[in-house]
Amino acid sequence: MKRIEDYIGTAIYTTVLLFAGLFLVMPMIVAVVLSFDARSFLGAFPPTEFSLRWYREFLSDDYLHRGLYTSLIVSTIATLVSTVLGTFAAIAIDRGRFKGRATLEAMFLSPLIIPTVVTGFAVLIFTASLGIMDGLTRLILGHILITFPYILRTVLAVLSGVPKRYTEAALSLGAKPWLATIEVTLPLARSGIIAGAIFAFVMSFDEVAVSLFLSDPFTYTLPVALLTQMRASLNLTIAAISVIFLVVSVLLILALDKLAGVETLTGRGVYGR
Amino acid sequence: MPLDRFHKILVLPAVLVFAPLVIGPLILLFQESLRPYEGGSIGGTLNAYLTLSNYTEFWHPTYAKYFLDTFRVSLIVTLLALVLGYLLAHYVVRVAKPRIAKLVLAGLLGVLFISLIVRIYAITLTFGPIGPLRDISWLVGIDPRTRRHTELMVVFGLLHTVLPLVTLTMIGTIQMVNPRLEEAAMSLGAPGWRAFFSVTLPLSIPGIVSAGIIGYAFSISNLVVPLLMGRGFVTFISNLIYFRFSEVANFPSGAALSVIMLLIALGIFFAGTRIVSAIWPPAERSGR
Amino acid sequence: MDANRLLEIQDASKSFGSTKVLDEVSFSVAQGEIIALLGPSGCGKTTTLRAIAGFEPLDYGRVVIAGQDMTLRRPYERPIGLVFQDYALFPHMTVGQNVGFGMRHRGIPRREIPERTASVLARVQLDGLAHRKPSELSGGQQQRVALARAMATEPEVMLLDEPLSNLDASLRLQLRIELRQVLTAAGSTAIIVTHDQEEAMGLADRIVLMKAGRIVQIDAPADLYARPRSRFAAEFIGEATWFEGILRPKSSGMALETGAGLIPIEGRSDLSPGAAFGFCIRPERISVLLAEDAPLFEGADTRLAGEVTYVERLGGDVRIWVRMVDGASAQVSAKNTSVILPEPGAKVWLAFRAADGVLLPPVDTKERVR
Repeated sequence: MKRIEDYIGTAIYTTVLLFAGLFLVMPMIVAVVLSFDARSFLGAFPPTEFSLRWYREFLSDDYLHRGLYTSLIVSTIATLVSTVLGTFAAIAIDRGRFKGRATLEAMFLSPLIIPTVVTGFAVLIFTASLGIMDGLTRLILGHILITFPYILRTVLAVLSGVPKRYTEAALSLGAKPWLATIEVTLPLARSGIIAGAIFAFVMSFDEVAVSLFLSDPFTYTLPVALLTQMRASLNLTIAAISVIFLVVSVLLILALDKLAGVETLTGRGVYGR
Repeated sequence: MPLDRFHKILVLPAVLVFAPLVIGPLILLFQESLRPYEGGSIGGTLNAYLTLSNYTEFWHPTYAKYFLDTFRVSLIVTLLALVLGYLLAHYVVRVAKPRIAKLVLAGLLGVLFISLIVRIYAITLTFGPIGPLRDISWLVGIDPRTRRHTELMVVFGLLHTVLPLVTLTMIGTIQMVNPRLEEAAMSLGAPGWRAFFSVTLPLSIPGIVSAGIIGYAFSISNLVVPLLMGRGFVTFISNLIYFRFSEVANFPSGAALSVIMLLIALGIFFAGTRIVSAIWPPAERSGR
Repeated sequence: MDANRLLEIQDASKSFGSTKVLDEVSFSVAQGEIIALLGPSGCGKTTTLRAIAGFEPLDYGRVVIAGQDMTLRRPYERPIGLVFQDYALFPHMTVGQNVGFGMRHRGIPRREIPERTASVLARVQLDGLAHRKPSELSGGQQQRVALARAMATEPEVMLLDEPLSNLDASLRLQLRIELRQVLTAAGSTAIIVTHDQEEAMGLADRIVLMKAGRIVQIDAPADLYARPRSRFAAEFIGEATWFEGILRPKSSGMALETGAGLIPIEGRSDLSPGAAFGFCIRPERISVLLAEDAPLFEGADTRLAGEVTYVERLGGDVRIWVRMVDGASAQVSAKNTSVILPEPGAKVWLAFRAADGVLLPPVDTKERVR
């Protein structure tokens, strides 16, 4: 009798699980399949003929190219700045013992709980009042706000796995603090820092709301370009882009896993798994 | 202590860059929200008297609908995400073999890594008029041609945003629960699902609520999903802010709404975490 | 059902990939008997216990309890009570609810539960604590709750996984005594997993000694100590001094010709000369002579020369390490501290009675014991 209860429970569990998994994955599969659709209009699924036309469309679309180019620049610069500043800030917060540490940490992490719309709008008003009219600068400033908390959070997590003992050993052997940091702490945290940077870069690249407010007709990020195109008409060039996103995403996850293991981003519980 | 000075210097550049970037915009946002607006101009009138009219404007029944829609739809999304996400998280932590768990984790991250725009697009394709799953709305008793269908699409879109995040959070929660507890329950005669409901689930509740708070806050603040999928039927607070920015340059009103949304989001986070800590003191949470 | 075989494991085998975690493990437990599964980490003792509980499926073999084949049954279908190493008490339930949990799920009528809860808590000396939460209790109290919870359903077999290792050393001894008293008072049949040989000796009626997934020896503690059947068993239980040599015929019987000297072997006509053997003797059976011609104690028939390398005074105990002529190291322990102790470097002679030792195969065989 209990055995039957177990079977039913397992059946329900598995069904819901499959539903959740399918829900997350199905749209991507559909997009991938449709990106190879030969038809020039949106026809019923599944397509009967296949072609690479939409990929060619993307390659010749200047509007989207501009967006891609801008996105790469903005996200790279913002991530670099945040990584340098954020790593040092994380070391200071994790190992330092000065007053106001907790407040600083809260401030650094605040963009995570501020709605992105608010961030976008606020930075817009801020830069406008400071006379910063250049789209690129505005975007970079906004994206620094976005990437910084991710870096800080990741590096703080990584640092908790680097025992202070090593730094203390270096100091006891005569190294000055900044040398100890560069020669001991940083190398030990290196793979985690890189993983955090990759994660932050992706979050910045994908960001829509903030970029929406900070872009202008000449300087806009790829997601903003996609958004504009989607509002105008739904075509399959975007499907081709989806596939590219998917591929890049997979590659990045593989890289992340190589560096720090996918599990480190969720941490390990007290009991091992 | 000599090291303290070193650390203070270390954190200084970040503070110098970041603090103005966070505090400045927020202050100016608040300031702008207090300025009056004259139709046709861009932004609020400078050097004018300050007013609260931008805030009181929203105390109007017309806006009640948008607020309610935002809260109601987000609630549905969050509840769905919690149920699906908890089972997914439980699977990853307790059931899946390490290789498969890693794969699922990678999958969740992968979904997060794909821009929301792309995901919305894919969902529109899949569940829209030409998609293979367009008939799914019949399953829940909704006619695809009605307004409710649009709402369903928005729910799907938001769910796609919130689910990976919530799942990842709850993976952490379940990892904190001692796996031996379920085994103990089974050794005492409880079949699998009863062991789960008597032991693992009650102990996960604080974590589930926390994840729900995060998910809800995210869902409320979302702009892109209602913008692209709402078709004007479903409008969130973020949409209102965006319209005040893009269609009419009524920055003060948009700013006021932003401040309101910010307070709501902060309120949810802080009140929520306080309540969780109060009801479930940390000492009782793990299985030691 | 045979009361001598309340629990039976037959040829239990399990592999993880290419590693054999359990290799044809077989033994039986009589009703009311307390068995210890003892061995170094990784020997398979915990896996065996979990296989009996049903949490570890076997690749091959059977588990039979009270005459019924349990091998395919889920844990909640087996008449077992399991005590976990970290107790696994439900933190969100009171002590009383913890103890009552098993009763509720094994079909005991609701109205009987409070009374039975109280009685089993009394048995472990925790009366009146039913309303507390586990987090409010001390380590020793938590252990007793875990025990009470497992016993409350009156299972056929109690299974305990390192029940004392989570406790401070000072508590361990006292709780060990209490544990055995509670189990024997209830007439429980129990299997206890431990890596601590002293614990096994104190708790068990019989010890199942395991190594690398195999059972090496099954015996009562005293027998296991006095008559180990392998070098591993000799050295795992207590301390052992080990010699190796070839059996040679002598004028009156045989002797083991070791690098340290001759050890007379009597009454073993079943052994043929020329074969190699090991000889094992416990340190407390050896006495140390400070002069070559010093008198042997009564019954001693062996005298071997060596040099003291180290002396350890441990309060009431003294340990002396002696290096023999062939380089082998022997350990001697003496309780009598009034005797003048030799210094490192001194030449001494070890004296003992050969019959106090055991002849063993020089190299442990891969034989499986049932």
